[in-house]
Amino acid sequence: MSLLARMAWRNLWRNPRRSLLTLGAIAFGVTLLVFSVGLQIGSYEQMITNTVRLFTGLAQVQRPGYLDAPRLRLDIPAARDLRARLEAGLGEIAPGVVVAPRAQAFVLLSSERRSLGALLVGVDPQAEARLSSLPGTVHRGRYLRTGEEVVLGAALARNLGLAPGDEVTVLGSARDGSVAATVLTVAGVFESGARELDRSLAQMPLAAFQDLFAMPDRVHALVLGEAPLGALPELVRRTRALLPPDPPLAVLTWERIEPGVKQAIEMDFASGWLMYLILVLVITFSILNTFLMAVLERRREFGVLLALGFRHGRLLRLVLWEAALLTALGVLLGMALGAALVAYFAVHGLTFEGMEVYAEQFNLPPYLTPKLTPFVLLSGPAVVLAVTLLAALYPASRVRAVDPAETTREVG
Amino acid sequence: MPWLALILVLLAFPAVAEPEAAAIVRAAIEHYRGKTSWMRLEMVIHRPDWERRLRLEAWTQGLDRSLVRVLAPRKDAGNATLLVGDAMWLYNPRVNRVIRIPASMMNQSWMGSDFSNNDIARSDDLIDQYDHRLLGEERVDGHRAWRIRSIPHEDAPVVWGFEDSLIRDDYVFLEHTYHDQAGSLVRRLTAREIGVLDGRPYAVRERMERLDKPGHWTEVHVLEARFDRPLPADLFTLANLRNPRP
Repeated sequence: MSLLARMAWRNLWRNPRRSLLTLGAIAFGVTLLVFSVGLQIGSYEQMITNTVRLFTGLAQVQRPGYLDAPRLRLDIPAARDLRARLEAGLGEIAPGVVVAPRAQAFVLLSSERRSLGALLVGVDPQAEARLSSLPGTVHRGRYLRTGEEVVLGAALARNLGLAPGDEVTVLGSARDGSVAATVLTVAGVFESGARELDRSLAQMPLAAFQDLFAMPDRVHALVLGEAPLGALPELVRRTRALLPPDPPLAVLTWERIEPGVKQAIEMDFASGWLMYLILVLVITFSILNTFLMAVLERRREFGVLLALGFRHGRLLRLVLWEAALLTALGVLLGMALGAALVAYFAVHGLTFEGMEVYAEQFNLPPYLTPKLTPFVLLSGPAVVLAVTLLAALYPASRVRAVDPAETTREVG
Repeated sequence: MPWLALILVLLAFPAVAEPEAAAIVRAAIEHYRGKTSWMRLEMVIHRPDWERRLRLEAWTQGLDRSLVRVLAPRKDAGNATLLVGDAMWLYNPRVNRVIRIPASMMNQSWMGSDFSNNDIARSDDLIDQYDHRLLGEERVDGHRAWRIRSIPHEDAPVVWGFEDSLIRDDYVFLEHTYHDQAGSLVRRLTAREIGVLDGRPYAVRERMERLDKPGHWTEVHVLEARFDRPLPADLFTLANLRNPRP
């Protein structure tokens, strides 16, 4: 360590109270920054997971164009084989991955009371129960098993005046253009919390759906789920390689299927940065203030140093060393505290009053989990370090104004 | 002074033309439906990759009562549609139920064809809910024909910006086009064959095309028809929809 650095270090501890206060301010600011970025990133991940888990899945295999203009005949043939092939092939890179087949059609549902248009989806109940959180939100009756039964969104059931055990008539158009009509028993009613789904979604077992719509072994989507979010790019690559060439099939990720979620995150991220900017400014000004006071208080000391032969430039570097050491120490301390805080809540979850009731209703975990990533740990502290050092330049420059003859004469 | 005369003529012209155009449209619709009608029809629904044929039997009375039954193919035989005024019901023999079609579904396709439920239901809307204007006169196959623009009233429950018809002087509809609010052509109904049914000239083969979906069309071919014969009083009832008289 150079002489200047050693002097700076000693100087810091010559007035421990002042140094510790500044250190505390920096450490506190950095802790706050690391924790809030961690919470933000963590909540985004949770938001994505919740959306993906509700109904969309991580990705879906569909015929190109089906997403934007769904048509019954735009379907995937030989679905059972393809599903088995995907499950085997993807299981190698993401054990536990679920491939859920779905077929869907717009139909007219009618009760004794009235008729309403709805999206009827044929599903594999077992696969859905593993991949989607929707079966868990059935609050009256039960989820699907097999045969001629249906589960309805809460608002849809209410509007039709139906309860579990009632019968509902389905009227639609089958794949061959014939009339698809049947009577289903309402097995259960779900309340997912997603208004669109609760108002217009109905599900029935896939086999019965395929019979009704004259589309044996055909589906409209193979939904991939129950794999880590980070594995998605690899999952998509693998899936593409496993798809048969004819008819052409597309792999769509959740971002394409639910663009709203991604947009919401991007907007929130932008507004989040404004808050961090303000936080960094507050930290900077408090540090600037402490540095400035420290320099002004020590005019006599500087005067003596200069009288002893210290040059102004050396003095300036000494003061900057002090600032750098103090800031680095504070940032390191803040990072350690912030990381500890994030790590603790990442394991134990952060919850607040009333959240449980709210979350349970929508089948979500009742806590927030912040997330520790290199970005979370480094981005905030790096900015604070840079801005603080920049801020230290001004008080340090005041050293140049010190005149040894004058200051040593002042009465202390 | 000649200017004033010209302006007066211009102002007077629509006032004279409008009732006439409306009268032509009304006469054409009445000609099309008769006081009562009975028909056997074939409907061909064409798609780029497949085609489907339906055999239908249809009855109408006045402008606001119709009953359509599917005779073939066997899978769909027995399906029936009843229209009384603005209300529409479907009967399906497999579930043995009558289903009322909600107003929100009236723009949906009828039996998977390019005709909407509204097309089947609302023949008198063109008379009640539109203003008509004569655009011009043309000559078609030795006949005079009027081209008429029909613009829906502000409050009419209609998705179209306007509709144009070409009506022959014997009140046969030759063409009917549907335009969106921006004026672009969206659908076109064309008479492809004109014959004589039960003594009246009639568009026996008509095709409905969707211009936004190339290769999508539905053709209706009237095989047999009788007009203005008395019909049973209970024909247009829900009871008859469910349990057809033998």
